[in-house]
Amino acid sequence: MVDRLVTAIAEMREEEALAITRELLGAGTPPTQILDDCRAAMEIVGQRFEQGKYFIPELILAGEMLKAISDLVKPHIKQEAEVKKLGKVVLGTVRGDIHDIGKNIVGFMLDANGFEVYDLGIDVPPEAFVEKVREVQPQVVALSGFLTLSYDSMKETVEALKAAGLRDRVKIMVGGGTVDEKVCTYAGADAFGADAMAAVTLARQWTR
Amino acid sequence: MPPSRHVIACATVIEEMLPLVPPGVTCETLDFGLHVDPARLRRALQEAIDRSEAGEVILGYGACSKAVIGLQAKRCTLVVPRVDDCIGIFLGSAAAYRQQARKEPGTYYLTKGWIEVGDTPFAEYERLSRQYGAERAERIIRQMLNHYTRLALINTGRHDLERYRAYARRTAERFGLRFEEIPGSDALIRRMLFGPWDGEFVVIPPGGTIRYEHFFPVEPASDAEVLPHEDHR
Repeated sequence: MVDRLVTAIAEMREEEALAITRELLGAGTPPTQILDDCRAAMEIVGQRFEQGKYFIPELILAGEMLKAISDLVKPHIKQEAEVKKLGKVVLGTVRGDIHDIGKNIVGFMLDANGFEVYDLGIDVPPEAFVEKVREVQPQVVALSGFLTLSYDSMKETVEALKAAGLRDRVKIMVGGGTVDEKVCTYAGADAFGADAMAAVTLARQWTR
Repeated sequence: MPPSRHVIACATVIEEMLPLVPPGVTCETLDFGLHVDPARLRRALQEAIDRSEAGEVILGYGACSKAVIGLQAKRCTLVVPRVDDCIGIFLGSAAAYRQQARKEPGTYYLTKGWIEVGDTPFAEYERLSRQYGAERAERIIRQMLNHYTRLALINTGRHDLERYRAYARRTAERFGLRFEEIPGSDALIRRMLFGPWDGEFVVIPPGGTIRYEHFFPVEPASDAEVLPHEDHR
Protein backbone atom coordinates (compact mmCIF):
# COMPACT_ATOMS: atom_id res chain seq x y z
CA MET A 1 0.00 0.00 0.00
CA VAL A 2 1.35 3.38 -0.93
CA ASP A 3 1.36 5.70 2.03
CA ARG A 4 -1.23 8.48 1.92
CA LEU A 5 1.34 11.08 2.89
CA VAL A 6 3.72 9.95 0.16
CA THR A 7 0.95 10.27 -2.42
CA ALA A 8 -0.22 13.67 -1.18
CA ILE A 9 3.30 15.12 -1.41
CA ALA A 10 4.10 13.49 -4.74
CA GLU A 11 0.81 14.76 -6.21
CA MET A 12 1.45 18.31 -4.93
CA ARG A 13 -1.58 18.28 -2.62
CA GLU A 14 -0.13 20.59 -0.05
CA GLU A 15 -3.02 21.08 2.36
CA GLU A 16 -3.77 17.38 2.41
CA ALA A 17 -0.11 16.57 3.11
CA LEU A 18 -0.06 18.93 6.09
CA ALA A 19 -3.40 17.62 7.39
CA ILE A 20 -2.14 14.03 7.21
CA THR A 21 1.07 15.01 8.98
CA ARG A 22 -0.89 16.59 11.85
CA GLU A 23 -3.12 13.56 12.01
CA LEU A 24 -0.15 11.17 12.10
CA LEU A 25 1.62 13.17 14.79
CA GLY A 26 -1.62 13.29 16.79
CA ALA A 27 -1.88 9.52 16.57
CA GLY A 28 1.64 9.17 17.93
CA THR A 29 3.35 8.14 14.69
CA PRO A 30 7.13 8.30 15.13
CA PRO A 31 8.56 11.43 13.46
CA THR A 32 11.18 9.26 11.75
CA GLN A 33 8.42 7.45 9.91
CA ILE A 34 6.97 10.72 8.67
CA LEU A 35 10.40 11.81 7.47
CA ASP A 36 10.79 8.44 5.74
CA ASP A 37 7.56 9.20 3.88
CA CYS A 38 8.93 12.59 2.87
CA ARG A 39 12.01 10.87 1.54
CA ALA A 40 9.93 8.35 -0.42
CA ALA A 41 7.82 11.18 -1.83
CA MET A 42 10.90 13.14 -2.86
CA GLU A 43 12.19 10.11 -4.71
CA ILE A 44 8.98 10.07 -6.75
CA VAL A 45 9.18 13.82 -7.35
CA GLY A 46 12.82 13.43 -8.41
CA GLN A 47 11.94 10.66 -10.84
CA ARG A 48 9.14 12.68 -12.39
CA PHE A 49 11.45 15.66 -12.73
CA GLU A 50 13.97 13.42 -14.48
CA GLN A 51 11.24 12.10 -16.79
CA GLY A 52 10.14 15.60 -17.72
CA LYS A 53 6.76 15.22 -16.03
CA TYR A 54 7.62 17.74 -13.32
CA PHE A 55 9.49 20.99 -13.65
CA ILE A 56 11.02 23.61 -11.36
CA PRO A 57 7.61 24.76 -9.97
CA GLU A 58 6.93 21.25 -8.67
CA LEU A 59 10.36 21.14 -7.02
CA ILE A 60 9.49 24.44 -5.34
CA LEU A 61 6.13 23.18 -4.12
CA ALA A 62 7.73 19.96 -2.88
CA GLY A 63 10.43 21.97 -1.13
CA GLU A 64 7.82 24.12 0.59
CA MET A 65 5.85 21.08 1.69
CA LEU A 66 8.99 19.47 3.12
CA LYS A 67 9.78 22.60 5.05
CA ALA A 68 6.25 22.92 6.42
CA ILE A 69 6.17 19.23 7.39
CA SER A 70 9.56 19.39 9.04
CA ASP A 71 8.42 22.43 11.02
CA LEU A 72 5.50 20.36 12.30
CA VAL A 73 7.62 17.30 12.99
CA LYS A 74 10.68 18.90 14.57
CA PRO A 75 9.23 19.70 18.02
CA HIS A 76 8.36 16.01 18.34
CA ILE A 77 11.89 14.91 17.48
CA LYS A 78 13.32 16.93 20.33
CA GLN A 79 11.16 15.05 22.77
CA GLU A 80 12.75 11.79 21.70
CA ALA A 81 16.03 10.58 23.08
CA GLU A 82 18.87 12.71 21.79
CA VAL A 83 19.45 11.82 18.17
CA LYS A 84 23.04 11.10 17.41
CA LYS A 85 24.08 13.08 14.39
CA LEU A 86 25.75 11.06 11.67
CA GLY A 87 28.14 13.77 10.66
CA LYS A 88 28.56 17.36 9.57
CA VAL A 89 27.98 18.78 6.12
CA VAL A 90 28.91 22.26 4.94
CA LEU A 91 26.58 23.14 2.07
CA GLY A 92 26.22 26.10 -0.26
CA THR A 93 25.53 27.45 -3.74
CA VAL A 94 28.92 28.47 -5.12
CA ARG A 95 30.01 31.99 -5.95
CA GLY A 96 28.31 33.62 -8.87
CA ASP A 97 25.20 31.49 -8.64
CA ILE A 98 22.08 32.40 -6.75
CA HIS A 99 19.90 29.35 -7.37
CA ASP A 100 19.01 27.43 -4.26
CA ILE A 101 15.85 25.43 -4.85
CA GLY A 102 17.77 22.18 -5.30
CA LYS A 103 20.31 23.05 -2.64
CA ASN A 104 17.55 23.66 -0.09
CA ILE A 105 16.02 20.26 -0.83
CA VAL A 106 19.45 18.64 -0.39
CA GLY A 107 19.83 20.49 2.91
CA PHE A 108 16.45 19.30 4.08
CA MET A 109 17.11 15.69 3.12
CA LEU A 110 20.52 15.63 4.81
CA ASP A 111 19.00 17.15 7.93
CA ALA A 112 16.09 14.71 7.87
CA ASN A 113 18.57 11.87 7.59
CA GLY A 114 20.50 12.79 10.66
CA PHE A 115 23.24 15.09 9.42
CA GLU A 116 24.20 18.38 10.97
CA VAL A 117 23.92 20.80 8.06
CA TYR A 118 25.69 24.15 7.86
CA ASP A 119 24.01 25.94 4.96
CA LEU A 120 26.03 28.93 3.82
CA GLY A 121 23.35 30.11 1.41
CA ILE A 122 23.94 31.43 -2.11
CA ASP A 123 26.77 33.10 -4.01
CA VAL A 124 29.20 31.69 -1.45
CA PRO A 125 32.82 32.69 -2.11
CA PRO A 126 35.54 30.01 -1.79
CA GLU A 127 36.95 31.77 1.30
CA ALA A 128 33.60 31.40 3.11
CA PHE A 129 33.66 27.64 2.51
CA VAL A 130 37.26 27.50 3.75
CA GLU A 131 36.40 29.47 6.86
CA LYS A 132 33.39 27.33 7.73
CA VAL A 133 35.25 24.07 7.10
CA ARG A 134 38.02 25.23 9.40
CA GLU A 135 35.49 26.22 12.07
CA VAL A 136 33.15 23.22 12.17
CA GLN A 137 35.43 20.52 10.70
CA PRO A 138 32.81 18.69 8.66
CA GLN A 139 33.36 15.33 7.00
CA VAL A 140 31.49 16.49 3.92
CA VAL A 141 31.36 19.63 1.77
CA ALA A 142 28.48 19.90 -0.71
CA LEU A 143 28.76 22.39 -3.57
CA SER A 144 25.65 23.33 -5.51
CA GLY A 145 25.31 25.22 -8.78
CA PHE A 146 22.63 25.61 -11.40
CA LEU A 147 24.37 27.59 -14.12
CA THR A 148 27.15 26.23 -16.30
CA LEU A 149 28.93 29.38 -15.16
CA SER A 150 29.17 27.77 -11.71
CA TYR A 151 31.61 25.05 -12.76
CA ASP A 152 34.60 27.32 -12.43
CA SER A 153 33.47 28.43 -8.97
CA MET A 154 33.28 24.80 -7.88
CA LYS A 155 36.81 24.28 -9.14
CA GLU A 156 38.00 27.42 -7.34
CA THR A 157 36.33 26.33 -4.11
CA VAL A 158 38.06 22.93 -4.22
CA GLU A 159 41.35 24.67 -4.97
CA ALA A 160 40.86 27.08 -2.08
CA LEU A 161 40.29 24.16 0.29
CA LYS A 162 43.45 22.56 -1.07
CA ALA A 163 45.44 25.76 -0.60
CA ALA A 164 44.18 26.00 2.99
CA GLY A 165 45.42 22.46 3.66
CA LEU A 166 41.87 21.22 4.29
CA ARG A 167 41.24 19.23 1.13
CA ASP A 168 42.34 15.88 2.61
CA ARG A 169 40.10 16.26 5.64
CA VAL A 170 36.84 16.47 3.73
CA LYS A 171 34.96 14.66 1.00
CA ILE A 172 33.46 17.00 -1.56
CA MET A 173 30.28 16.39 -3.54
CA VAL A 174 28.92 18.53 -6.36
CA GLY A 175 25.42 18.72 -7.82
CA GLY A 176 22.64 20.83 -9.30
CA GLY A 177 21.39 21.86 -12.73
CA THR A 178 23.58 20.39 -15.43
CA VAL A 179 26.34 19.24 -13.08
CA ASP A 180 27.54 15.69 -13.79
CA GLU A 181 30.55 13.36 -13.48
CA LYS A 182 32.56 15.48 -15.90
CA VAL A 183 32.01 18.60 -13.82
CA CYS A 184 33.05 16.64 -10.73
CA THR A 185 36.31 15.72 -12.44
CA TYR A 186 36.74 19.28 -13.74
CA ALA A 187 36.23 20.74 -10.28
CA GLY A 188 38.42 18.16 -8.57
CA ALA A 189 35.60 17.04 -6.27
CA ASP A 190 35.12 13.49 -5.00
CA ALA A 191 31.66 12.67 -6.30
CA PHE A 192 28.64 13.94 -8.16
CA GLY A 193 25.11 13.45 -6.85
CA ALA A 194 22.19 13.45 -9.28
CA ASP A 195 19.57 14.34 -6.67
CA ALA A 196 18.95 14.90 -2.99
CA MET A 197 18.82 11.18 -2.22
CA ALA A 198 22.17 10.67 -3.92
CA ALA A 199 23.56 13.39 -1.66
CA VAL A 200 22.32 11.50 1.39
CA THR A 201 23.75 8.20 0.11
CA LEU A 202 27.14 9.79 -0.52
CA ALA A 203 27.20 11.53 2.85
CA ARG A 204 26.36 8.23 4.55
CA GLN A 205 29.18 6.42 2.76
CA TRP A 206 31.62 9.12 3.69
CA THR A 207 30.73 9.25 7.37
CA ARG A 208 30.49 5.52 7.97
CA MET B 1 34.11 27.69 -54.50
CA PRO B 2 33.74 28.09 -50.73
CA PRO B 3 31.63 25.47 -48.97
CA SER B 4 27.94 26.25 -48.64
CA ARG B 5 26.77 27.49 -45.25
CA HIS B 6 23.62 26.71 -43.31
CA VAL B 7 22.48 28.28 -40.03
CA ILE B 8 20.41 26.36 -37.49
CA ALA B 9 19.32 28.72 -34.73
CA CYS B 10 16.95 29.03 -31.83
CA ALA B 11 13.89 31.20 -32.48
CA THR B 12 15.22 33.85 -30.08
CA VAL B 13 18.63 34.03 -31.75
CA ILE B 14 17.65 33.90 -35.41
CA GLU B 15 16.10 37.34 -35.58
CA GLU B 16 19.34 38.92 -34.41
CA MET B 17 21.15 36.98 -37.14
CA LEU B 18 18.76 37.42 -40.05
CA PRO B 19 19.58 41.09 -40.80
CA LEU B 20 23.24 40.09 -41.21
CA VAL B 21 22.90 36.84 -43.14
CA PRO B 22 24.67 37.16 -46.50
CA PRO B 23 23.05 35.87 -49.68
CA GLY B 24 23.52 32.18 -50.27
CA VAL B 25 23.51 31.25 -46.59
CA THR B 26 20.39 29.30 -45.69
CA CYS B 27 18.68 29.53 -42.29
CA GLU B 28 16.53 27.25 -40.24
CA THR B 29 14.79 27.98 -36.94
CA LEU B 30 14.11 25.52 -34.15
CA ASP B 31 11.43 25.91 -31.54
CA PHE B 32 12.47 28.00 -28.57
CA GLY B 33 10.65 25.71 -26.13
CA LEU B 34 13.21 22.95 -26.72
CA HIS B 35 15.68 24.65 -24.40
CA VAL B 36 13.95 23.36 -21.28
CA ASP B 37 14.61 19.77 -22.38
CA PRO B 38 18.26 19.41 -23.40
CA ALA B 39 17.87 15.81 -24.62
CA ARG B 40 15.04 16.78 -26.96
CA LEU B 41 16.93 19.85 -28.15
CA ARG B 42 19.95 17.65 -28.89
CA ARG B 43 17.83 15.24 -30.95
CA ALA B 44 16.21 18.11 -32.88
CA LEU B 45 19.61 19.66 -33.57
CA GLN B 46 21.14 16.38 -34.72
CA GLU B 47 18.22 15.76 -37.06
CA ALA B 48 18.55 19.24 -38.52
CA ILE B 49 22.32 18.80 -38.95
CA ASP B 50 21.82 15.43 -40.65
CA ARG B 51 19.21 16.88 -43.00
CA SER B 52 21.44 19.72 -44.12
CA GLU B 53 23.55 19.29 -47.22
CA ALA B 54 25.71 22.33 -46.53
CA GLY B 55 29.46 22.00 -46.11
CA GLU B 56 29.43 24.20 -43.00
CA VAL B 57 26.66 24.22 -40.42
CA ILE B 58 26.59 27.11 -37.94
CA LEU B 59 24.58 26.66 -34.75
CA GLY B 60 22.89 29.71 -33.27
CA TYR B 61 23.19 28.21 -29.80
CA GLY B 62 25.57 28.13 -26.88
CA ALA B 63 26.24 25.11 -24.70
CA CYS B 64 22.57 25.51 -23.67
CA SER B 65 22.46 23.16 -20.67
CA LYS B 66 24.91 20.99 -22.57
CA ALA B 67 22.33 20.22 -25.26
CA VAL B 68 24.98 20.67 -27.98
CA ILE B 69 27.41 18.26 -26.37
CA GLY B 70 27.38 14.95 -28.20
CA LEU B 71 26.28 16.43 -31.53
CA GLN B 72 28.00 14.78 -34.49
CA ALA B 73 29.26 16.72 -37.48
CA LYS B 74 29.12 13.68 -39.82
CA ARG B 75 29.44 15.21 -43.34
CA CYS B 76 29.78 18.91 -42.49
CA THR B 77 31.98 21.19 -40.48
CA LEU B 78 30.06 22.18 -37.37
CA VAL B 79 30.51 25.62 -35.82
CA VAL B 80 29.19 26.77 -32.41
CA PRO B 81 30.11 29.88 -30.45
CA ARG B 82 31.77 28.88 -27.19
CA VAL B 83 29.29 30.58 -24.84
CA ASP B 84 27.21 29.17 -22.00
CA ASP B 85 23.92 30.10 -23.63
CA CYS B 86 22.32 32.66 -25.95
CA ILE B 87 22.84 35.54 -23.50
CA GLY B 88 26.54 35.34 -24.42
CA ILE B 89 25.56 35.60 -28.10
CA PHE B 90 23.41 38.70 -27.50
CA LEU B 91 26.10 40.35 -25.37
CA GLY B 92 28.76 39.69 -28.00
CA SER B 93 31.15 37.38 -26.14
CA ALA B 94 31.50 34.87 -23.34
CA ALA B 95 33.69 37.41 -21.53
CA ALA B 96 31.00 40.09 -21.68
CA TYR B 97 28.49 37.60 -20.29
CA ARG B 98 30.79 36.65 -17.45
CA GLN B 99 31.41 40.28 -16.68
CA GLN B 100 27.67 40.99 -16.43
CA ALA B 101 27.13 37.85 -14.39
CA ARG B 102 29.94 38.75 -12.04
CA LYS B 103 28.63 42.23 -11.58
CA GLU B 104 25.22 40.96 -10.54
CA PRO B 105 24.64 37.20 -10.36
CA GLY B 106 20.92 37.64 -9.73
CA THR B 107 20.11 38.96 -13.17
CA TYR B 108 17.09 37.92 -15.17
CA TYR B 109 17.89 38.65 -18.82
CA LEU B 110 15.26 39.53 -21.38
CA THR B 111 15.53 40.22 -25.07
CA LYS B 112 12.97 41.11 -27.70
CA GLY B 113 12.98 37.49 -28.83
CA TRP B 114 12.46 36.08 -25.34
CA ILE B 115 9.56 38.42 -24.77
CA GLU B 116 8.02 37.41 -28.09
CA VAL B 117 8.24 33.68 -27.46
CA GLY B 118 6.73 34.23 -24.06
CA ASP B 119 9.51 33.18 -21.72
CA THR B 120 9.04 35.88 -19.11
CA PRO B 121 8.00 35.89 -15.46
CA PHE B 122 4.55 37.21 -16.49
CA ALA B 123 4.01 34.35 -18.90
CA GLU B 124 5.27 31.81 -16.37
CA TYR B 125 2.94 33.26 -13.75
CA GLU B 126 -0.02 32.92 -16.13
CA ARG B 127 0.82 29.27 -16.81
CA LEU B 128 1.24 28.51 -13.11
CA SER B 129 -1.97 30.32 -12.25
CA ARG B 130 -3.96 28.09 -14.56
CA GLN B 131 -2.37 24.98 -13.07
CA TYR B 132 -2.11 25.81 -9.39
CA GLY B 133 -4.32 28.86 -8.79
CA ALA B 134 -3.27 32.46 -8.23
CA GLU B 135 -2.08 32.15 -4.64
CA ARG B 136 0.24 29.21 -5.19
CA ALA B 137 1.40 30.64 -8.53
CA GLU B 138 2.46 33.81 -6.76
CA ARG B 139 4.40 31.83 -4.16
CA ILE B 140 6.10 29.69 -6.81
CA ILE B 141 7.13 32.63 -8.96
CA ARG B 142 8.49 34.50 -5.93
CA GLN B 143 10.58 31.42 -5.14
CA MET B 144 11.77 31.12 -8.72
CA LEU B 145 12.88 34.71 -8.67
CA ASN B 146 14.22 34.51 -5.13
CA HIS B 147 17.63 36.23 -4.96
CA TYR B 148 17.14 37.85 -8.35
CA THR B 149 17.71 41.57 -8.04
CA ARG B 150 17.90 42.90 -11.58
CA LEU B 151 15.96 42.55 -14.78
CA ALA B 152 18.26 43.37 -17.67
CA LEU B 153 16.83 44.09 -21.09
CA ILE B 154 19.52 43.51 -23.69
CA ASN B 155 19.41 46.17 -26.38
CA THR B 156 21.08 44.80 -29.49
CA GLY B 157 20.48 48.10 -31.24
CA ARG B 158 18.75 46.38 -34.10
CA HIS B 159 15.10 46.86 -33.22
CA ASP B 160 12.71 49.47 -32.02
CA LEU B 161 12.49 48.42 -28.40
CA GLU B 162 9.87 50.82 -27.06
CA ARG B 163 7.12 48.26 -26.64
CA TYR B 164 9.51 45.67 -25.21
CA ARG B 165 11.11 48.18 -22.89
CA ALA B 166 7.68 49.04 -21.47
CA TYR B 167 6.92 45.36 -21.02
CA ALA B 168 10.28 44.68 -19.36
CA ARG B 169 9.79 47.64 -17.01
CA ARG B 170 6.34 46.40 -16.03
CA THR B 171 7.77 42.93 -15.43
CA ALA B 172 10.50 44.32 -13.23
CA GLU B 173 8.03 46.37 -11.18
CA ARG B 174 5.56 43.54 -10.82
CA PHE B 175 8.17 41.10 -9.54
CA GLY B 176 10.25 43.48 -7.47
CA LEU B 177 13.33 43.67 -9.67
CA ARG B 178 15.41 46.68 -10.65
CA PHE B 179 15.07 47.47 -14.34
CA GLU B 180 18.19 48.06 -16.34
CA GLU B 181 18.85 48.27 -20.05
CA ILE B 182 22.22 46.92 -21.09
CA PRO B 183 23.84 47.20 -24.50
CA GLY B 184 24.15 44.09 -26.60
CA SER B 185 26.60 43.49 -29.40
CA ASP B 186 26.49 41.76 -32.75
CA ALA B 187 30.24 41.04 -32.65
CA LEU B 188 29.82 37.32 -32.03
CA ILE B 189 26.99 36.97 -34.54
CA ARG B 190 29.09 38.66 -37.23
CA ARG B 191 31.93 36.24 -36.60
CA MET B 192 29.52 33.29 -36.57
CA LEU B 193 28.44 34.30 -40.07
CA PHE B 194 31.67 35.63 -41.53
CA GLY B 195 34.48 34.24 -39.38
CA PRO B 196 37.15 34.13 -38.23
CA TRP B 197 36.23 31.14 -36.11
CA ASP B 198 38.89 31.61 -33.50
CA GLY B 199 39.17 30.43 -29.90
CA GLU B 200 35.70 31.74 -29.14
CA PHE B 201 34.25 29.06 -31.37
CA VAL B 202 34.02 25.31 -31.26
CA VAL B 203 34.79 24.07 -34.78
CA ILE B 204 34.22 20.39 -35.42
CA PRO B 205 35.50 18.82 -38.66
CA PRO B 206 33.40 16.27 -40.57
CA GLY B 207 33.15 13.02 -38.65
CA GLY B 208 33.83 14.74 -35.32
CA THR B 209 31.69 15.10 -32.20
CA ILE B 210 31.20 18.07 -29.87
CA ARG B 211 32.68 17.01 -26.57
CA TYR B 212 32.32 18.41 -23.08
CA GLU B 213 35.94 19.56 -23.14
CA HIS B 214 35.26 21.84 -26.09
CA PHE B 215 33.09 24.03 -23.88
CA PHE B 216 34.57 23.35 -20.49
CA PRO B 217 38.28 22.70 -21.01
CA VAL B 218 40.16 21.28 -18.05
CA GLU B 219 42.77 23.99 -18.53
CA PRO B 220 41.39 27.53 -18.46
CA ALA B 221 40.60 28.54 -22.02
CA SER B 222 41.49 31.68 -23.92
CA ASP B 223 38.40 33.68 -22.97
CA ALA B 224 38.91 32.78 -19.34
CA GLU B 225 42.26 34.52 -19.50
CA VAL B 226 40.76 37.73 -20.79
CA LEU B 227 39.13 38.26 -17.43
CA PRO B 228 40.69 36.61 -14.41
CA HIS B 229 38.33 34.32 -12.51
CA GLU B 230 38.02 36.30 -9.36
CA ASP B 231 34.32 36.53 -9.22
CA HIS B 232 31.62 35.61 -11.65
CA ARG B 233 28.18 34.18 -12.07
